[in-house]
Amino acid sequence: SLSLVQLQHQGSPFSDPGFSAPELQLSSLPPAAVSFKTWHALDDGERLSHAQGAFLALTQHLQLVGDDQRDLNPGSPILLAQLGAARLRAQGLLGNMAAIMTALGLPIPPEEDTLGVVPFGASAFERKCRGYVVTREYGHWTDRAVRDLALLKAKYPG
Amino acid sequence: MLNLSSRLRRPSWMMDSKRMGMTSHFQWLLLTFILLYLMNQVNSQKRGAPRDLKCVTNSLRVWDCSWKAPSGVGHGTVYEVCIENRSHSCYQSEKTNTKIPALPPGDHEITINRLYGFGNLLSKFTLNEKNVSLIPDTPEILNLSANFSTSTLHLTWNDRGSVFPHHLSVIWEIKILRKENKEVVKLVTHNTTVNGKDTVHHWSWTSDMPLECTTHSVGIRCYVDDLHFSGRKEWSDWSPLKNVSWSPDSQTKVFPQDKVILVGSDIIFCCVTQEKVLSAQIGQTNCPLIHLDGENVAIKIHNISVSANSGTNVVFTTEDNIFGTVIFAGYPPDIPQKLNCETSDLKEIVCTWNPGRPTALVGPRNTSYTLFESFSGKYVRFKRVEAPTNESYQLFFQMRPDQEIYNFTLNARNPLGRSEATVLVNITEKVCPRIPTSIKVRDINSTAVTLSWHLPGNFAKIKLLCQIEINKTNSVQELRNVTIKGVENSSYLVAVDKLNPYTIYTFRIRCSTETFWKWSKWSNEKKYLTTEAIPSKGPDTWREWSSDGKNLIIYWKPLPINEANGKILSYNVSCSLDEETQSLSEIPDPQHKAELQLDKNDYIISVVAKNSVGSSPPSKIASMEIPNDDLKVEQAVGMGNGILLTWNYDPNMTCDYVIKWCNSSRSEPCLMDWKKVPSNSTETVIESDQFRPGVRYHFFLYGCRNQGYQLLRSIIGYIEELAPIVAPNFTVEDTSADSILVKWEDIPVEELRGFLRGYLFYFEKGERDTSKIRGLESGKSLNYSGNIS
Repeated sequence: SLSLVQLQHQGSPFSDPGFSAPELQLSSLPPAAVSFKTWHALDDGERLSHAQGAFLALTQHLQLVGDDQRDLNPGSPILLAQLGAARLRAQGLLGNMAAIMTALGLPIPPEEDTLGVVPFGASAFERKCRGYVVTREYGHWTDRAVRDLALLKAKYPG
Repeated sequence: MLNLSSRLRRPSWMMDSKRMGMTSHFQWLLLTFILLYLMNQVNSQKRGAPRDLKCVTNSLRVWDCSWKAPSGVGHGTVYEVCIENRSHSCYQSEKTNTKIPALPPGDHEITINRLYGFGNLLSKFTLNEKNVSLIPDTPEILNLSANFSTSTLHLTWNDRGSVFPHHLSVIWEIKILRKENKEVVKLVTHNTTVNGKDTVHHWSWTSDMPLECTTHSVGIRCYVDDLHFSGRKEWSDWSPLKNVSWSPDSQTKVFPQDKVILVGSDIIFCCVTQEKVLSAQIGQTNCPLIHLDGENVAIKIHNISVSANSGTNVVFTTEDNIFGTVIFAGYPPDIPQKLNCETSDLKEIVCTWNPGRPTALVGPRNTSYTLFESFSGKYVRFKRVEAPTNESYQLFFQMRPDQEIYNFTLNARNPLGRSEATVLVNITEKVCPRIPTSIKVRDINSTAVTLSWHLPGNFAKIKLLCQIEINKTNSVQELRNVTIKGVENSSYLVAVDKLNPYTIYTFRIRCSTETFWKWSKWSNEKKYLTTEAIPSKGPDTWREWSSDGKNLIIYWKPLPINEANGKILSYNVSCSLDEETQSLSEIPDPQHKAELQLDKNDYIISVVAKNSVGSSPPSKIASMEIPNDDLKVEQAVGMGNGILLTWNYDPNMTCDYVIKWCNSSRSEPCLMDWKKVPSNSTETVIESDQFRPGVRYHFFLYGCRNQGYQLLRSIIGYIEELAPIVAPNFTVEDTSADSILVKWEDIPVEELRGFLRGYLFYFEKGERDTSKIRGLESGKSLNYSGNIS
């Protein structure tokens, strides 16, 4: 998985087996974790706009992490390629969401700059941590998007 | 000092007068002495008289003298201090101290007179420099500043040197303290001199612990080391401490961030936090915590090992959080290895090198290179390579017109240091041209072509040495060298001769400069077919008369490639008598036979081969054979795959011998093949794929004179004899008591498979296996007589 590959390139303790730091979060990235009850009760518009916002943020954050890792791990083309591929997949999902929202007659939220000015001048440790958070959240959001889309498909067959 | 006042108050001998007696005389003497002594003391020890004179100096110019006066002295007391010297200076003071100018070495008498009311109390003192203490004034720190990014403290203070009268050396002691409890971390001695004026001094110290970790305090004191001063020299008091601390915000921070250090060095990390730190680790190793103020902690790393590309992580773990930093431990750049500068076109110089031992630093910390040339003063920078590879690095430097000697210095720099390598080159001796391109071939004639190629480069001022590789199928490779004048960025032409017509050649070229250093790479191959030329020789020709004697059949063999010089299109067969052409026929290739109806005149038949360029020289042969009456048919047997024929040398022969052969059982015309042999030969081996063992061939040897042939020898032969296939068919004609007449028939030639030498007879009488052999006989019948039993 992307998260695992990213961790392996950051050195100990990130690369230690079973590394997990759920307390690390990024305020600019909406977390995927949500209670099942809340998630199930979302209406279509909310569901899709949450996903939309998340993947928009993820495409921008994955770009940032790609730039970070280009400085930290320039000799690891596999990692850089996987980050690039993930960003493209996130963009793809963004397109999917937009198409579904249009089909359902829902307004598509405008693209925002989710990163702002904050990331410049981040230390190497901050970059490694945000790489971990971004790839972790990417994994969680893609899992969640699968279930979101399955739920919508069941609701609107065809 | 004797406190005699108490004694005076209650002299015990007066109270107890009863004890007087025998010792009373002695006691009176004692009393007198005591009284005298007391009188002396009272003069100087009158109640309230100054005493205990102590002088100190902070400037060596002025002595601050103070004395004691017993308690209870009231206001309005004035002291007069006089120095018993020539000038007899006196100073007045209302306090128990006064400042006097420094006295020269030696003893000085000082009187202090306490003036009060109507009386005075005088004390006399002897004052010597030896008794004076030199205590410098407490220094004051002007400024203490911190450079957090370099963990350096900068201290400035004024030495107040103007207070001193002359040149002196001063020792400063600077102490550095950490934490709120002001643990002394470092004590440093710093020597300066004072020169009679105030000087501001600077001093810096780099902390092994980041300055943000805890409060750092600095104090300073001094000691004036005047060699001429004979009194006691003492340290000043410590200055008031000046502090430097970093004001943390509520966020936890770890220091230092993203530092680059040398492998093997020691370093301290700290965590400035309000949460309780549970553990700390570097990489996978746990470290013991050093507690600073509050919840701040530090760890000390000793002999740090080399980091991975993304650095080594240092992590502090709290209850529900992690904080950290990354450290990059690497090496300064190695001296660039194998620095080599050369050019391929005398326009651009390419310098290549190996980085040497890896620094372990990548990305923005990677080594940057600058190539500097000292004669021109120009330089080029090396852009960071994205993907680190083991390949050589290279930089391009534009050649300067009219500069041949270049002095290159390659500087390598990274956050930990620098290194350099130099090389001095005469660039005209380091030219390796690029691969020649656009190879073109043009005809000059059938044995010569023009070869042209393009070689980029500004070679106008030098000469080139080029090598042409000529390849011909089934032939040895040929290399030809050619020296040509260089041109600027253009094509080169050279003529290549001594080629064969109508032949496929493959050309390749490589070049170097005349002052040879390196060859360029070989160019691509260029295949070319030379043009045709007229055939160099006429075809190998023979003739046979038809069995009815009316037609002459001319045979010829196709020309080999190296004589054909092109594609043979047709043959011209002409027949002439007395130099007048009687007939001419054109026979297209691949026909190799022509039939002419001729009478018994001796015609000369001429055969030429024609290609697109022209006709070969004619091959001539006479139609009539020169007769030879004295001819015997001979026998011969070959060895293995051929048959050897020999004859005597005949100097009269002007043209080549011909040996023709055929399978003797076939009908005419008898011709399987023929072979021409030079006129000075005496033997030849006839070989052919068509020869079979056990087959009888007939060989004819013709001598040649002026294109006319004469049969010289007629030879029947076998390449290899085989045993006969069949046994002779025989009958017993007649028998008698002691003779048998046996008759048999000839075996046909095809079944004989060799020359008949004779017959073998086998006899048997009665029982088997008792055969008798009678010798080898020839003939057709045998009358065997003799002992039959």
